Amino acid sequence: MRPARLLRWYPPAWRERYGGELLALIQDTVDEGRPTWRLRLSVVRGGLRERVHQAVRAGTAAAKRVSTGWLMTVVAGLILGSLPWNIKAPLPPARAWQATAALGALAGVVAFTGVCVLAGGLAAAPAFIAFLRERGWPKIRRRVAWAAGATVAAGGGLAGLFLGQRSMSSAQLSHSWAYGIGVVATSLALVAALGLWASAATATAKHLKLGTRARAAQPLLAAVTLTAAFAIVPANLIWLAAIQSSLAWLVVGVANLALLGVVTPRRIGQAVRQGRRLRAAASGRTTISPSAQRTPGRRRA
Amino acid sequence: MAPSGLRRPNDPPLLILVSLADGPKHGHALAKDIEDFAGVRLGPGALYGAITRLVERGLIEPAGGDDRRRPYRITPPGSAALAGALADMRQVTRTGLSRLGLDPA
Repeated sequence: MRPARLLRWYPPAWRERYGGELLALIQDTVDEGRPTWRLRLSVVRGGLRERVHQAVRAGTAAAKRVSTGWLMTVVAGLILGSLPWNIKAPLPPARAWQATAALGALAGVVAFTGVCVLAGGLAAAPAFIAFLRERGWPKIRRRVAWAAGATVAAGGGLAGLFLGQRSMSSAQLSHSWAYGIGVVATSLALVAALGLWASAATATAKHLKLGTRARAAQPLLAAVTLTAAFAIVPANLIWLAAIQSSLAWLVVGVANLALLGVVTPRRIGQAVRQGRRLRAAASGRTTISPSAQRTPGRRRA
Repeated sequence: MAPSGLRRPNDPPLLILVSLADGPKHGHALAKDIEDFAGVRLGPGALYGAITRLVERGLIEPAGGDDRRRPYRITPPGSAALAGALADMRQVTRTGLSRLGLDPA
């Protein structure tokens, strides 16, 4: 194997930055001879380690952006989905207004989150269509297929749980092993589906050539979506507190709400400023800070 | 690893910082110098993996030169990190030698 071929084990960004240097080092090391197996192994191991390092770093960055929101949504969904008997249980009269208000707020927040996600999708739609027209589908096909498969599995699980709830009483449900396993399996499938769709969306977004407006709107849209996803949890907890007459859930729910009230203005303010900076940079009035433009493998180059 | 099973201080980032402490060097010169003073032969993959991490952390930086044989130099944070690591190692060395009765100081 020629030394230049060994560089294929490294990620492209790394090769672009360090590839020439590494090749020179290999050539200096082997002089006129052929690379030894030990040297080849060192390069292959280094390349694989670099790929893992970049994947972990990219995954961490993406996870920070995406996972928090959907994780909170999953937690909130589990609170609702794993306690179907709470929905069937009669409401304590003194707490009925609280439960109704919390459930209304919950439905509103969920709908609002959906609208935000839809708005983000619509903003990116022209770029996505252009990407598909440029034969981009094969680049994302596998991820989308996995996400769709997990969604079908989760949908099947939800349908099974729904049928189980209709055919059994609350007491039967709470003592049914099959139902319990179904809840866990469906929850895992839902988490997998959300994670895979997030992964597919992140991979797709890397290929999209978004317009200035869409790029500038992104930070604000992301901040609002994240806030809405966070708001699902306190609304859920307050509803749970009402139907169970639980002071502990109420305290946790109100504390969550207070935390949200503290964090949200700062998050929205940051997003607005970031959007303005992006617009200004696009119009040539100023430049984006180098730290915002760094790409993996090209730091301090 | 030594025959006793005890590891020698052969951490690639540390060796690279020690090598660069007396001036900039490119990859091949680094590998040769490290082999000379520490008896450790770093493969190209291990050497450039460590260089990448050190550059990311701002402990070393490119010192001009061409793209293929680019020399690197230690930065002030790199010097401080190296001094700290060596001071820690000196403390361990002193304590060990003193307890063995090999170095009463």
